[in-house]
Amino acid sequence: MHGTLFVSGNSGLHRLHPLTKLALTFLFLVFAATLPNLLWLLAAFVILLVPMSAWGGLLRPFLRSCLVVITPFVISLSIIQGFFTPGETPLFHLAGFVLTGEGLLAGLTVASRILMALGGALLLMLSTRPDMLMLALTRSGLPGSLAYVVLTSIQIFPRFQERAQVILEAQQARGLEIKVNIFKRLRLLVPLMGPLVLSSIVDVEERAMALEARAFSRPGRKTSLLALADSPGQHLARWGLLLLMLALIGWSIWRAISS
Amino acid sequence: MIRIKDFCYWYPGQDQPALDGIDLEIPEGQFCGVVGPNGAGKSTLCYALSGFAPHFFHGTWEGELQVGKRDVPRSTLGELAGEIGLVFQNSFNQISGARFTVREEIAFGLENLGLKRKEIERRVEETLALIDLEALAERSPFALSGGQQQRVAIASILAMQPKLLVLDEPTSQLDPRGTQEVFKILDKLAGRGGTTVVLVEHKLEWLAAFADRVITFSQGRIVLDGSAKKILADEKLLKLGVGQTQFTQAAAAVQKKKFIPRSRPLPVTLKQAQKFFE
Ligand SMILES: Nc1ncnc2c1ncn2[C@@H]1O[C@H](COP(=O)(O)OP(=O)(O)O)[C@@H](O)[C@H]1O
Ligand SMILES: [Mg+2]
Repeated sequence: MHGTLFVSGNSGLHRLHPLTKLALTFLFLVFAATLPNLLWLLAAFVILLVPMSAWGGLLRPFLRSCLVVITPFVISLSIIQGFFTPGETPLFHLAGFVLTGEGLLAGLTVASRILMALGGALLLMLSTRPDMLMLALTRSGLPGSLAYVVLTSIQIFPRFQERAQVILEAQQARGLEIKVNIFKRLRLLVPLMGPLVLSSIVDVEERAMALEARAFSRPGRKTSLLALADSPGQHLARWGLLLLMLALIGWSIWRAISS
Repeated sequence: MIRIKDFCYWYPGQDQPALDGIDLEIPEGQFCGVVGPNGAGKSTLCYALSGFAPHFFHGTWEGELQVGKRDVPRSTLGELAGEIGLVFQNSFNQISGARFTVREEIAFGLENLGLKRKEIERRVEETLALIDLEALAERSPFALSGGQQQRVAIASILAMQPKLLVLDEPTSQLDPRGTQEVFKILDKLAGRGGTTVVLVEHKLEWLAAFADRVITFSQGRIVLDGSAKKILADEKLLKLGVGQTQFTQAAAAVQKKKFIPRSRPLPVTLKQAQKFFE
Protein backbone atom coordinates (compact mmCIF):
# COMPACT_ATOMS: atom_id res chain seq x y z
CA MET A 1 0.00 0.00 0.00
CA HIS A 2 1.50 3.23 -1.19
CA GLY A 3 2.55 5.59 1.60
CA THR A 4 2.07 3.02 4.36
CA LEU A 5 4.33 0.54 6.17
CA PHE A 6 1.78 -2.25 5.91
CA VAL A 7 3.18 -5.62 4.80
CA SER A 8 0.36 -7.86 3.62
CA GLY A 9 0.04 -11.32 5.07
CA ASN A 10 -2.40 -13.74 6.60
CA SER A 11 -0.72 -14.47 9.92
CA GLY A 12 -2.45 -14.60 13.27
CA LEU A 13 -1.05 -11.15 14.01
CA HIS A 14 -2.50 -9.80 10.79
CA ARG A 15 -5.88 -11.30 11.61
CA LEU A 16 -6.13 -9.85 15.13
CA HIS A 17 -8.77 -7.17 15.50
CA PRO A 18 -7.11 -3.73 14.98
CA LEU A 19 -8.25 -2.56 18.41
CA THR A 20 -6.57 -5.55 20.03
CA LYS A 21 -3.31 -4.61 18.30
CA LEU A 22 -3.83 -0.98 19.24
CA ALA A 23 -4.25 -2.04 22.88
CA LEU A 24 -0.97 -3.97 22.64
CA THR A 25 0.72 -0.91 21.19
CA PHE A 26 -0.48 1.14 24.14
CA LEU A 27 0.68 -1.57 26.51
CA PHE A 28 4.18 -1.38 25.01
CA LEU A 29 4.02 2.38 25.37
CA VAL A 30 3.23 1.93 29.05
CA PHE A 31 6.10 -0.56 29.31
CA ALA A 32 8.39 2.03 27.76
CA ALA A 33 7.39 4.57 30.37
CA THR A 34 7.26 2.34 33.44
CA LEU A 35 9.80 -0.50 33.22
CA PRO A 36 12.56 0.34 35.71
CA ASN A 37 15.81 -0.24 33.83
CA LEU A 38 17.67 -1.16 30.65
CA LEU A 39 17.66 -4.87 31.42
CA TRP A 40 13.88 -5.00 31.87
CA LEU A 41 13.31 -2.97 28.73
CA LEU A 42 15.58 -5.08 26.55
CA ALA A 43 14.12 -8.26 28.01
CA ALA A 44 10.57 -7.10 27.22
CA PHE A 45 11.63 -6.21 23.69
CA VAL A 46 13.29 -9.59 23.09
CA ILE A 47 10.65 -11.69 24.85
CA LEU A 48 7.52 -9.90 23.59
CA LEU A 49 8.02 -7.74 20.52
CA VAL A 50 10.51 -9.87 18.60
CA PRO A 51 8.47 -13.10 18.85
CA MET A 52 5.30 -11.17 18.01
CA SER A 53 6.88 -9.84 14.85
CA ALA A 54 8.01 -13.37 13.98
CA TRP A 55 4.44 -14.60 14.58
CA GLY A 56 3.31 -12.04 11.99
CA GLY A 57 6.02 -13.16 9.55
CA LEU A 58 7.44 -9.68 9.94
CA LEU A 59 10.75 -10.36 11.70
CA ARG A 60 12.96 -8.92 8.99
CA PRO A 61 10.98 -5.72 8.20
CA PHE A 62 10.39 -5.22 11.92
CA LEU A 63 14.04 -5.45 12.91
CA ARG A 64 15.11 -3.41 9.90
CA SER A 65 12.66 -0.57 10.69
CA CYS A 66 13.64 -0.68 14.36
CA LEU A 67 17.29 -0.37 13.44
CA VAL A 68 16.63 2.54 11.10
CA VAL A 69 14.52 4.37 13.66
CA ILE A 70 16.59 3.72 16.76
CA THR A 71 20.19 4.14 15.54
CA PRO A 72 20.19 7.95 15.52
CA PHE A 73 18.69 7.95 19.04
CA VAL A 74 21.29 5.48 20.34
CA ILE A 75 24.15 7.55 18.95
CA SER A 76 22.91 11.00 19.97
CA LEU A 77 21.62 9.95 23.42
CA SER A 78 24.80 8.00 24.24
CA ILE A 79 26.93 10.98 23.38
CA ILE A 80 24.81 13.62 25.10
CA GLN A 81 24.00 11.65 28.25
CA GLY A 82 27.42 9.93 28.27
CA PHE A 83 29.46 13.10 28.29
CA PHE A 84 27.19 15.28 30.39
CA THR A 85 26.17 12.90 33.16
CA PRO A 86 28.69 12.99 36.01
CA GLY A 87 29.79 9.58 37.33
CA GLU A 88 32.45 7.42 38.98
CA THR A 89 33.47 5.29 36.00
CA PRO A 90 35.26 7.24 33.28
CA LEU A 91 35.40 5.26 30.05
CA PHE A 92 36.79 7.67 27.51
CA HIS A 93 38.40 11.14 27.38
CA LEU A 94 37.87 13.61 24.57
CA ALA A 95 39.08 17.22 24.51
CA GLY A 96 38.60 17.65 28.25
CA PHE A 97 35.22 15.88 28.33
CA VAL A 98 34.73 12.50 30.00
CA LEU A 99 32.37 9.76 28.86
CA THR A 100 31.09 8.07 32.02
CA GLY A 101 29.70 4.56 32.38
CA GLU A 102 26.70 5.94 34.28
CA GLY A 103 26.01 8.43 31.51
CA LEU A 104 26.26 5.81 28.81
CA LEU A 105 23.84 3.58 30.72
CA ALA A 106 21.40 6.46 31.14
CA GLY A 107 21.57 7.27 27.42
CA LEU A 108 21.02 3.65 26.42
CA THR A 109 18.10 3.37 28.85
CA VAL A 110 16.32 6.33 27.28
CA ALA A 111 17.05 4.92 23.82
CA SER A 112 15.60 1.56 24.85
CA ARG A 113 12.44 3.27 26.11
CA ILE A 114 12.09 4.89 22.70
CA LEU A 115 12.77 1.54 21.03
CA MET A 116 10.04 -0.08 23.10
CA ALA A 117 7.47 2.60 22.27
CA LEU A 118 8.31 2.90 18.58
CA GLY A 119 8.65 -0.87 18.25
CA GLY A 120 5.06 -1.28 19.44
CA ALA A 121 3.87 1.32 16.96
CA LEU A 122 5.87 -0.29 14.14
CA LEU A 123 4.37 -3.69 14.90
CA LEU A 124 0.90 -2.18 14.60
CA MET A 125 1.67 -0.36 11.36
CA LEU A 126 3.44 -3.31 9.74
CA SER A 127 0.59 -5.73 10.44
CA THR A 128 -2.53 -3.53 10.15
CA ARG A 129 -4.11 -1.88 7.14
CA PRO A 130 -4.69 1.78 8.03
CA ASP A 131 -8.21 1.63 6.61
CA MET A 132 -8.98 -1.39 8.81
CA LEU A 133 -7.71 0.47 11.86
CA MET A 134 -9.80 3.53 10.97
CA LEU A 135 -12.85 1.35 10.35
CA ALA A 136 -12.44 -0.22 13.78
CA LEU A 137 -12.03 3.20 15.37
CA THR A 138 -15.08 4.69 13.63
CA ARG A 139 -17.10 1.66 14.74
CA SER A 140 -16.18 2.59 18.29
CA GLY A 141 -17.06 6.25 17.94
CA LEU A 142 -14.29 8.09 16.05
CA PRO A 143 -15.96 10.65 13.71
CA GLY A 144 -15.95 9.42 10.10
CA SER A 145 -14.59 12.74 8.86
CA LEU A 146 -11.53 12.36 11.09
CA ALA A 147 -10.87 8.86 9.78
CA TYR A 148 -11.22 10.27 6.27
CA VAL A 149 -8.64 12.98 6.94
CA VAL A 150 -6.14 10.47 8.28
CA LEU A 151 -6.56 8.08 5.36
CA THR A 152 -6.38 10.76 2.70
CA SER A 153 -3.32 12.32 4.32
CA ILE A 154 -1.52 9.00 4.08
CA GLN A 155 -2.23 8.82 0.37
CA ILE A 156 -2.29 12.41 -0.71
CA PHE A 157 0.92 13.70 0.83
CA PRO A 158 3.11 11.62 -1.48
CA ARG A 159 1.05 13.05 -4.41
CA PHE A 160 1.56 16.54 -3.05
CA GLN A 161 5.32 15.94 -3.11
CA GLU A 162 5.09 14.69 -6.68
CA ARG A 163 3.19 17.79 -7.69
CA ALA A 164 5.71 20.04 -5.93
CA GLN A 165 8.44 18.23 -7.85
CA VAL A 166 6.67 18.87 -11.16
CA ILE A 167 6.29 22.59 -10.41
CA LEU A 168 9.91 22.74 -9.23
CA GLU A 169 11.12 21.15 -12.44
CA ALA A 170 8.99 23.52 -14.51
CA GLN A 171 10.50 26.48 -12.68
CA GLN A 172 14.00 25.09 -13.12
CA ALA A 173 13.29 24.70 -16.82
CA ARG A 174 12.31 28.37 -16.90
CA GLY A 175 15.67 29.26 -15.37
CA LEU A 176 15.00 29.54 -11.64
CA GLU A 177 18.20 28.22 -10.12
CA ILE A 178 17.84 25.46 -7.63
CA LYS A 179 21.25 23.98 -6.85
CA VAL A 180 22.14 26.53 -4.21
CA ASN A 181 22.58 26.61 -0.47
CA ILE A 182 19.87 25.83 2.02
CA PHE A 183 18.81 29.44 2.71
CA LYS A 184 18.42 30.30 -0.95
CA ARG A 185 16.57 27.02 -1.32
CA LEU A 186 14.06 28.07 1.35
CA ARG A 187 13.55 31.35 -0.46
CA LEU A 188 12.86 29.41 -3.63
CA LEU A 189 9.97 27.71 -1.87
CA VAL A 190 8.06 30.99 -2.00
CA PRO A 191 7.37 30.95 -5.75
CA LEU A 192 6.65 27.25 -5.39
CA MET A 193 3.97 27.74 -2.74
CA GLY A 194 1.92 30.04 -4.98
CA PRO A 195 0.98 27.55 -7.69
CA LEU A 196 0.87 24.67 -5.24
CA VAL A 197 -1.56 26.29 -2.81
CA LEU A 198 -3.62 27.94 -5.53
CA SER A 199 -4.14 24.76 -7.52
CA SER A 200 -5.01 23.00 -4.29
CA ILE A 201 -7.61 25.59 -3.26
CA VAL A 202 -9.31 25.44 -6.65
CA ASP A 203 -9.37 21.67 -6.31
CA VAL A 204 -10.88 21.73 -2.83
CA GLU A 205 -14.33 22.77 -4.08
CA GLU A 206 -14.39 20.07 -6.75
CA ARG A 207 -13.10 17.49 -4.26
CA ALA A 208 -15.83 18.44 -1.80
CA MET A 209 -18.51 18.08 -4.45
CA ALA A 210 -17.10 14.77 -5.67
CA LEU A 211 -17.28 13.48 -2.10
CA GLU A 212 -20.89 14.65 -1.76
CA ALA A 213 -21.72 12.88 -5.01
CA ARG A 214 -20.49 9.71 -3.30
CA ALA A 215 -22.95 10.29 -0.43
CA PHE A 216 -20.13 11.04 2.00
CA SER A 217 -22.14 13.28 4.33
CA ARG A 218 -25.41 11.44 3.94
CA PRO A 219 -26.89 10.92 7.39
CA GLY A 220 -27.38 7.37 8.58
CA ARG A 221 -25.30 4.28 9.18
CA LYS A 222 -22.42 3.43 6.88
CA THR A 223 -21.32 -0.07 6.02
CA SER A 224 -18.02 -1.45 4.81
CA LEU A 225 -16.69 -3.74 2.13
CA LEU A 226 -13.95 -4.77 4.55
CA ALA A 227 -14.88 -7.37 7.12
CA LEU A 228 -13.67 -6.85 10.67
CA ALA A 229 -13.39 -10.12 12.57
CA ASP A 230 -13.65 -9.87 16.34
CA SER A 231 -14.17 -12.50 19.03
CA PRO A 232 -15.37 -12.54 22.63
CA GLY A 233 -11.87 -13.69 23.60
CA GLN A 234 -10.25 -10.66 22.01
CA HIS A 235 -12.86 -8.39 23.54
CA LEU A 236 -11.96 -9.78 26.94
CA ALA A 237 -8.24 -9.56 26.17
CA ARG A 238 -8.56 -5.86 25.41
CA TRP A 239 -10.13 -5.24 28.83
CA GLY A 240 -7.36 -7.34 30.35
CA LEU A 241 -4.71 -5.26 28.58
CA LEU A 242 -6.35 -2.08 29.81
CA LEU A 243 -6.30 -3.35 33.40
CA LEU A 244 -2.68 -4.40 33.02
CA MET A 245 -1.77 -0.91 31.79
CA LEU A 246 -3.53 0.70 34.73
CA ALA A 247 -1.78 -1.68 37.11
CA LEU A 248 1.63 -0.88 35.61
CA ILE A 249 0.99 2.84 35.85
CA GLY A 250 -0.18 2.45 39.46
CA TRP A 251 2.88 0.36 40.29
CA SER A 252 5.28 2.94 38.87
CA ILE A 253 3.53 5.77 40.70
CA TRP A 254 3.72 3.78 43.93
CA ARG A 255 7.45 3.17 43.32
CA ALA A 256 8.04 6.85 42.71
CA ILE A 257 6.24 7.84 45.89
CA SER A 258 7.86 5.24 48.12
CA SER A 259 11.43 5.93 47.03
CA MET B 1 -37.09 11.52 -16.94
CA ILE B 2 -35.88 15.13 -16.65
CA ARG B 3 -38.50 17.87 -16.57
CA ILE B 4 -37.29 21.44 -16.20
CA LYS B 5 -39.78 24.30 -16.38
CA ASP B 6 -38.78 27.94 -16.46
CA PHE B 7 -35.87 27.28 -14.12
CA CYS B 8 -33.61 30.17 -13.08
CA TYR B 9 -30.60 30.09 -10.79
CA TRP B 10 -28.46 32.89 -9.34
CA TYR B 11 -25.10 32.27 -7.64
CA PRO B 12 -24.87 34.11 -4.30
CA GLY B 13 -24.50 37.85 -4.75
CA GLN B 14 -24.99 37.77 -8.54
CA ASP B 15 -27.62 39.90 -10.32
CA GLN B 16 -27.27 38.00 -13.59
CA PRO B 17 -28.77 34.50 -13.45
CA ALA B 18 -26.38 31.70 -14.46
CA LEU B 19 -29.41 29.75 -15.66
CA ASP B 20 -32.06 31.97 -17.19
CA GLY B 21 -35.48 30.42 -17.85
CA ILE B 22 -34.50 26.86 -18.76
CA ASP B 23 -37.21 24.66 -20.30
CA LEU B 24 -36.04 21.15 -20.99
CA GLU B 25 -37.45 17.65 -21.13
CA ILE B 26 -35.20 14.63 -21.56
CA PRO B 27 -36.76 11.17 -21.91
CA GLU B 28 -35.38 8.13 -20.14
CA GLY B 29 -32.35 6.51 -21.78
CA GLN B 30 -31.49 9.49 -23.97
CA PHE B 31 -27.83 10.43 -24.52
CA CYS B 32 -27.93 14.21 -24.53
CA GLY B 33 -24.87 16.35 -25.33
CA VAL B 34 -24.52 19.92 -24.04
CA VAL B 35 -22.34 22.48 -25.82
CA GLY B 36 -21.77 26.22 -25.50
CA PRO B 37 -19.02 28.81 -25.04
CA ASN B 38 -17.20 29.33 -21.73
CA GLY B 39 -19.40 30.83 -19.05
CA ALA B 40 -22.61 29.86 -20.85
CA GLY B 41 -23.95 27.94 -17.86
CA LYS B 42 -23.21 24.34 -18.83
CA SER B 43 -21.56 23.47 -15.52
CA THR B 44 -24.32 25.26 -13.66
CA LEU B 45 -26.88 23.09 -15.46
CA CYS B 46 -24.95 20.01 -14.25
CA TYR B 47 -24.96 21.40 -10.70
CA ALA B 48 -28.69 22.17 -10.87
CA LEU B 49 -29.49 18.66 -12.15
CA SER B 50 -27.54 17.11 -9.29
CA GLY B 51 -28.75 19.54 -6.63
CA PHE B 52 -25.38 21.21 -5.95
CA ALA B 53 -27.05 24.40 -7.12
CA PRO B 54 -28.53 25.45 -4.72
CA HIS B 55 -27.57 22.94 -1.98
CA PHE B 56 -23.79 23.26 -2.24
CA PHE B 57 -23.36 26.73 -3.78
CA HIS B 58 -26.45 28.23 -2.06
CA GLY B 59 -27.78 31.18 -4.07
CA THR B 60 -31.40 31.52 -5.18
CA TRP B 61 -33.58 29.73 -7.72
CA GLU B 62 -37.08 29.64 -9.12
CA GLY B 63 -39.05 27.34 -11.39
CA GLU B 64 -39.36 23.55 -11.44
CA LEU B 65 -36.70 20.89 -11.81
CA GLN B 66 -37.64 17.22 -11.58
CA VAL B 67 -35.57 14.11 -12.17
CA GLY B 68 -37.84 11.09 -12.21
CA LYS B 69 -40.23 11.72 -9.34
CA ARG B 70 -37.65 13.66 -7.38
CA ASP B 71 -38.08 17.42 -6.93
CA VAL B 72 -34.36 18.22 -7.03
CA PRO B 73 -34.05 21.71 -5.51
CA ARG B 74 -36.43 20.68 -2.72
CA SER B 75 -34.46 17.53 -1.83
CA THR B 76 -31.30 17.23 0.25
CA LEU B 77 -27.91 16.25 -1.17
CA GLY B 78 -28.06 13.13 0.95
CA GLU B 79 -31.28 12.07 -0.82
CA LEU B 80 -29.88 12.95 -4.23
CA ALA B 81 -26.52 11.21 -3.90
CA GLY B 82 -26.82 7.89 -5.64
CA GLU B 83 -29.97 8.88 -7.54
CA ILE B 84 -28.25 11.43 -9.72
CA GLY B 85 -24.59 10.82 -10.51
CA LEU B 86 -22.21 13.67 -11.31
CA VAL B 87 -18.80 13.16 -12.92
CA PHE B 88 -16.30 16.01 -13.06
CA GLN B 89 -13.54 17.16 -15.35
CA ASN B 90 -10.54 16.40 -13.15
CA SER B 91 -10.18 12.68 -12.60
CA PHE B 92 -7.65 13.05 -9.77
CA ASN B 93 -10.01 15.18 -7.68
CA GLN B 94 -12.69 12.53 -7.83
CA ILE B 95 -10.59 9.84 -6.23
CA SER B 96 -11.78 9.76 -2.63
CA GLY B 97 -8.26 9.22 -1.30
CA ALA B 98 -9.65 7.19 1.57
CA ARG B 99 -9.44 3.83 -0.21
CA PHE B 100 -6.40 1.92 -1.36
CA THR B 101 -7.57 -0.11 -4.36
CA VAL B 102 -9.84 0.49 -7.32
CA ARG B 103 -12.25 -2.14 -5.99
CA GLU B 104 -12.53 -0.38 -2.61
CA GLU B 105 -12.76 3.01 -4.28
CA ILE B 106 -15.81 1.86 -6.22
CA ALA B 107 -17.28 0.48 -2.99
CA PHE B 108 -16.81 3.81 -1.15
CA GLY B 109 -20.09 5.39 -2.29
CA LEU B 110 -22.01 2.18 -1.59
CA GLU B 111 -20.58 2.05 1.92
CA ASN B 112 -21.77 5.60 2.46
CA LEU B 113 -25.23 4.56 1.27
CA GLY B 114 -25.18 1.91 3.98
CA LEU B 115 -25.72 -1.10 1.68
CA LYS B 116 -25.11 -4.63 2.95
CA ARG B 117 -21.67 -6.12 2.24
CA LYS B 118 -23.10 -8.81 -0.06
CA GLU B 119 -24.87 -6.16 -2.13
CA ILE B 120 -21.75 -3.97 -2.23
CA GLU B 121 -19.65 -6.91 -3.43
CA ARG B 122 -22.20 -7.81 -6.09
CA ARG B 123 -22.46 -4.27 -7.43
CA VAL B 124 -18.71 -3.69 -7.38
CA GLU B 125 -18.02 -6.86 -9.39
CA GLU B 126 -20.80 -6.00 -11.81
CA THR B 127 -19.43 -2.49 -12.32
CA LEU B 128 -15.83 -3.66 -12.69
CA ALA B 129 -17.00 -5.94 -15.49
CA LEU B 130 -19.19 -3.29 -17.14
CA ILE B 131 -16.44 -0.65 -17.20
CA ASP B 132 -13.77 -3.20 -18.05
CA LEU B 133 -11.74 -2.47 -14.93
CA GLU B 134 -11.26 -6.03 -13.67
CA ALA B 135 -7.56 -6.05 -14.51
CA LEU B 136 -7.04 -2.87 -12.46
CA ALA B 137 -9.20 -3.88 -9.48
CA GLU B 138 -6.32 -4.36 -7.04
CA ARG B 139 -4.29 -1.34 -8.21
CA SER B 140 -4.12 1.94 -6.32
CA PRO B 141 -6.50 4.45 -7.94
CA PHE B 142 -3.62 6.93 -7.83
CA ALA B 143 -1.39 4.68 -9.93
CA LEU B 144 -3.55 4.92 -13.06
CA SER B 145 -3.53 6.91 -16.27
CA GLY B 146 -5.94 9.82 -16.59
CA GLY B 147 -8.30 7.80 -18.76
CA GLN B 148 -8.26 4.84 -16.41
CA GLN B 149 -8.80 7.15 -13.42
CA GLN B 150 -11.76 8.80 -15.13
CA ARG B 151 -13.22 5.35 -15.80
CA VAL B 152 -12.84 4.58 -12.09
CA ALA B 153 -14.63 7.85 -11.29
CA ILE B 154 -17.48 6.91 -13.64
CA ALA B 155 -17.58 3.37 -12.25
CA SER B 156 -17.71 4.71 -8.69
CA ILE B 157 -20.77 6.76 -9.58
CA LEU B 158 -22.41 4.05 -11.69
CA ALA B 159 -22.12 1.47 -8.91
CA MET B 160 -24.55 3.64 -6.97
CA GLN B 161 -27.02 2.94 -9.81
CA PRO B 162 -28.14 6.50 -10.53
CA LYS B 163 -31.18 7.07 -12.69
CA LEU B 164 -29.38 9.96 -14.33
CA LEU B 165 -25.69 10.31 -15.13
CA VAL B 166 -24.42 13.89 -15.57
CA LEU B 167 -20.86 14.45 -16.80
CA ASP B 168 -19.18 17.87 -16.94
CA GLU B 169 -16.39 17.79 -19.53
CA PRO B 170 -15.11 14.40 -18.38
CA THR B 171 -12.68 14.04 -21.29
CA SER B 172 -11.20 17.52 -21.47
CA GLN B 173 -8.03 16.47 -19.62
CA LEU B 174 -7.74 13.16 -21.42
CA ASP B 175 -5.74 12.14 -24.47
CA PRO B 176 -7.56 10.63 -27.50
CA ARG B 177 -7.21 7.15 -26.08
CA GLY B 178 -8.74 8.18 -22.73
CA THR B 179 -11.52 10.02 -24.56
CA GLN B 180 -12.32 6.91 -26.52
CA GLU B 181 -12.40 4.82 -23.34
CA VAL B 182 -14.96 7.18 -21.80
CA PHE B 183 -17.18 7.41 -24.87
CA LYS B 184 -17.22 3.64 -25.30
CA ILE B 185 -18.64 3.33 -21.77
CA LEU B 186 -21.23 6.06 -22.27
CA ASP B 187 -22.33 4.45 -25.52
CA LYS B 188 -22.71 1.12 -23.75
CA LEU B 189 -24.75 2.70 -20.95
CA ALA B 190 -27.08 4.72 -23.13
CA GLY B 191 -27.26 1.85 -25.63
CA ARG B 192 -28.61 -0.49 -22.97
CA GLY B 193 -31.46 1.94 -22.58
CA GLY B 194 -31.36 2.14 -18.81
CA THR B 195 -29.27 5.18 -18.04
CA THR B 196 -30.09 8.70 -19.08
CA VAL B 197 -26.87 10.59 -19.90
CA VAL B 198 -26.28 14.34 -19.94
CA LEU B 199 -22.78 15.12 -21.18
CA VAL B 200 -21.08 18.52 -21.42
CA GLU B 201 -18.42 18.06 -24.09
CA HIS B 202 -16.21 20.22 -26.30
CA LYS B 203 -15.11 17.41 -28.57
CA LEU B 204 -17.87 17.78 -31.16
CA GLU B 205 -16.74 14.89 -33.38
CA TRP B 206 -17.34 12.53 -30.49
CA LEU B 207 -20.77 14.00 -29.73
CA ALA B 208 -21.72 13.69 -33.38
CA ALA B 209 -20.79 10.02 -33.33
CA PHE B 210 -22.46 9.06 -30.06
CA ALA B 211 -25.07 11.53 -28.77
CA ASP B 212 -28.79 11.28 -29.62
CA ARG B 213 -29.42 14.93 -29.03
CA VAL B 214 -27.45 18.16 -28.55
CA ILE B 215 -28.54 21.28 -26.73
CA THR B 216 -26.61 24.52 -27.04
CA PHE B 217 -26.21 27.02 -24.24
CA SER B 218 -25.45 30.71 -24.46
CA GLN B 219 -25.60 33.22 -21.62
CA GLY B 220 -27.60 30.92 -19.36
CA ARG B 221 -30.21 30.03 -21.98
CA ILE B 222 -30.82 27.14 -24.33
CA VAL B 223 -30.49 28.58 -27.83
CA LEU B 224 -30.42 25.43 -29.99
CA ASP B 225 -31.93 22.03 -29.31
CA GLY B 226 -32.35 19.06 -31.62
CA SER B 227 -30.83 15.85 -32.92
CA ALA B 228 -27.03 15.72 -32.64
CA LYS B 229 -26.50 15.54 -36.39
CA LYS B 230 -28.80 18.49 -37.09
CA ILE B 231 -27.50 20.81 -34.36
CA LEU B 232 -23.82 20.11 -34.95
CA ALA B 233 -24.19 20.92 -38.66
CA ASP B 234 -25.88 24.25 -37.80
CA GLU B 235 -23.84 27.27 -38.91
CA LYS B 236 -25.04 29.24 -35.86
CA LEU B 237 -22.64 27.19 -33.72
CA LEU B 238 -19.74 29.14 -35.26
CA LYS B 239 -21.19 32.52 -34.26
CA LEU B 240 -21.93 31.20 -30.77
CA GLY B 241 -18.26 30.36 -30.37
CA VAL B 242 -18.84 26.63 -30.11
CA GLY B 243 -17.00 25.78 -33.33
CA GLN B 244 -17.66 22.96 -35.74
CA THR B 245 -16.47 19.42 -36.22
CA GLN B 246 -13.39 19.02 -38.41
CA PHE B 247 -15.57 17.26 -40.97
CA THR B 248 -17.94 20.20 -41.12
CA GLN B 249 -15.08 22.71 -41.41
CA ALA B 250 -13.45 20.81 -44.24
CA ALA B 251 -16.72 20.41 -46.07
CA ALA B 252 -17.66 24.07 -45.63
CA ALA B 253 -14.26 25.17 -46.97
CA VAL B 254 -14.62 23.00 -50.05
CA GLN B 255 -18.23 24.04 -50.56
CA LYS B 256 -17.24 27.71 -50.51
CA LYS B 257 -15.00 27.10 -53.51
CA LYS B 258 -18.17 25.89 -55.21
CA PHE B 259 -16.96 22.41 -55.99
CA ILE B 260 -20.03 21.12 -54.21
CA PRO B 261 -23.62 22.43 -54.42
CA ARG B 262 -24.80 24.45 -51.42
CA SER B 263 -27.90 22.34 -51.14
CA ARG B 264 -25.85 19.38 -49.90
CA PRO B 265 -26.06 19.28 -46.04
CA LEU B 266 -22.77 19.63 -44.16
CA PRO B 267 -21.39 16.45 -42.52
CA VAL B 268 -20.60 16.04 -38.80
CA THR B 269 -19.38 12.42 -38.72
CA LEU B 270 -16.71 10.56 -40.65
CA LYS B 271 -19.36 8.53 -42.50
CA GLN B 272 -21.28 11.62 -43.54
CA ALA B 273 -18.05 13.29 -44.61
CA GLN B 274 -17.12 10.37 -46.84
CA LYS B 275 -20.53 10.59 -48.53
CA PHE B 276 -20.25 14.38 -48.82
CA PHE B 277 -16.95 14.25 -50.66
CA GLU B 278 -17.88 11.38 -52.98
N1 LIG C 1 -19.27 29.77 -7.92
C1 LIG C 1 -19.72 30.79 -8.70
N2 LIG C 1 -20.05 31.97 -8.14
C2 LIG C 1 -20.52 32.97 -8.92
N3 LIG C 1 -20.66 32.91 -10.25
C3 LIG C 1 -20.34 31.77 -10.87
C4 LIG C 1 -19.84 30.64 -10.13
N4 LIG C 1 -19.59 29.63 -10.99
C5 LIG C 1 -19.93 30.12 -12.22
N5 LIG C 1 -20.37 31.39 -12.15
C6 LIG C 1 -20.84 32.21 -13.28
O1 LIG C 1 -21.96 31.58 -13.84
C7 LIG C 1 -21.94 31.66 -15.25
C8 LIG C 1 -22.01 30.26 -15.84
O2 LIG C 1 -20.83 29.55 -15.50
P1 LIG C 1 -20.62 28.03 -15.82
O3 LIG C 1 -21.86 27.28 -15.57
O4 LIG C 1 -19.40 27.59 -15.11
O5 LIG C 1 -20.32 28.07 -17.40
P2 LIG C 1 -19.70 26.96 -18.36
O6 LIG C 1 -19.59 25.69 -17.60
O7 LIG C 1 -20.64 26.89 -19.51
O8 LIG C 1 -18.38 27.46 -18.78
C9 LIG C 1 -20.66 32.40 -15.60
O9 LIG C 1 -20.99 33.72 -15.85
C10 LIG C 1 -19.82 32.27 -14.37
O10 LIG C 1 -18.98 33.40 -14.22
MG1 LIG D 1 -17.88 24.51 -17.14
